[in-house]
Amino acid sequence: MAKKGCLGCSFPVLIGVVILLVLAVTGFLAGPIGQSVFKGLNLPDWIGVPRPHPELPAETVFHILGFPVANSLIASWFTMIVLVAGSWAIMRRVSMVPGRLQAAFEYVVGGLYSFCQSVAGEEKGRRFFPVVSTIFLFVMFNAWLGLLPGFGSITAQSHGHVIHLLRPANTDINTPLALALVSFVFVLYFGLKDLRFKFLQQYFNLGPMFKAMGQLFTGKVKAGMGGLFTGFIMFFVSILELLSMFIRIVSFTFRLFGNMTAGEILLLMVVFLVPWVFGVVFYGLELLVGFVQALIFAGLTLVFLTLATTAHSGEGH
Amino acid sequence: MEGIDELGVSLPTLIAQVINFGILFLLLYLVAYRPIMRMFDERSKKIKDSVDQAEYIKEQVARTEEEAEKRIETASKEGQELVARAVKTGEEVRQKAEVGAKAEAEVLIQRARSDIQRERDEAIDDVRKAFADLMVQAAEKVIDRSLDKEAHREIIEKVLEESITFKKK
Repeated sequence: MAKKGCLGCSFPVLIGVVILLVLAVTGFLAGPIGQSVFKGLNLPDWIGVPRPHPELPAETVFHILGFPVANSLIASWFTMIVLVAGSWAIMRRVSMVPGRLQAAFEYVVGGLYSFCQSVAGEEKGRRFFPVVSTIFLFVMFNAWLGLLPGFGSITAQSHGHVIHLLRPANTDINTPLALALVSFVFVLYFGLKDLRFKFLQQYFNLGPMFKAMGQLFTGKVKAGMGGLFTGFIMFFVSILELLSMFIRIVSFTFRLFGNMTAGEILLLMVVFLVPWVFGVVFYGLELLVGFVQALIFAGLTLVFLTLATTAHSGEGH
Repeated sequence: MEGIDELGVSLPTLIAQVINFGILFLLLYLVAYRPIMRMFDERSKKIKDSVDQAEYIKEQVARTEEEAEKRIETASKEGQELVARAVKTGEEVRQKAEVGAKAEAEVLIQRARSDIQRERDEAIDDVRKAFADLMVQAAEKVIDRSLDKEAHREIIEKVLEESITFKKK
């Protein structure tokens, strides 16, 4: 093939590259960095981006019957509508031989399904799949839809304040916390359902200690003393397990919240420092982060579910 | 509480998000998970069925092939037997025919031979009669009187008989 155009690129591509370069340079010059390097350069005001003021608490947009509706809540409703409407539209005419959309949908959902089965086993994976999959889809679409234009830029007037109408749901700490609680509740539910008393025993393991006390009273002092010691240690360990259950909620919450908020602030700052095209790279990065965080959240939930429903044989001697 | 407030934890939003998740879970379960899992099951069942069926058909084909081969074998064996029998029968028929023909020929030859014998005898007889007549006539001529024909003939016959027997000796 004979090379046409310049520098090995065809003309349309070359024009695109040139436009991108011009935009990048202009953006750089217009941003605070460019302004401080090249002082005296007077560019029109509209090129620059005003300094962002990220705030951690989500703003309340309006009240329904005294119930405050935060902008992150609206965003998560948007995510829900997209997810449900999308899957309804695709699964409405589900067929044995899938079309393109159905195949893509099946690829995602089927991938999650086989992921659950590979971790938790055939039968358990089937039971955990809806929870894990919902967490994954909710987190990922919260993150991805938050990258759409309009999030953080559409503003509304409320009680004399200018507020953002939409805010990526994951960047409001209530969303990760709610998900963490849901994950915790499901772990508890499945654990109790599958192991019943044994599940609780893992977290309040008093059995060995009482057994040792019994031995003490019946006169086997030597065995009783040793048993009391190990029994105490095992009780302590089980309390640690209990503690770690609750710490999981915190770690779940702050992992997701921290990653998503940091990503959001990173995007804001990058766009502020170097306006226009430079931020696109970070949008790509945020896509990846959204996927990875969703996978971590769902995957950890899956692992905890699997652990909670697996009897620790040999424990408690 | 100051720190938590700064993070933005608010009970109403938290509850709302938990409820949100519940609703999303239910809706997705109804709209996506249940149908897709049903379809996965159906599909895997169908695939399993068709694999089984393919296996069955394969087996059937193998069995049929074997049967056909066996049948062909027996048929060819039978055919060979038939041909052998036919050849044998043909041979027999040929031999029988040959024997019959030989016998017939023998009979014919025999008959021909006897015919020839009889003809010859008859001819000799005729010749002898004619000769006797001639002799009688000649004798009449010589003696000029008619001899007793019958008597003479007898004599001549006798002479001729003697001559023949003589000759035969």
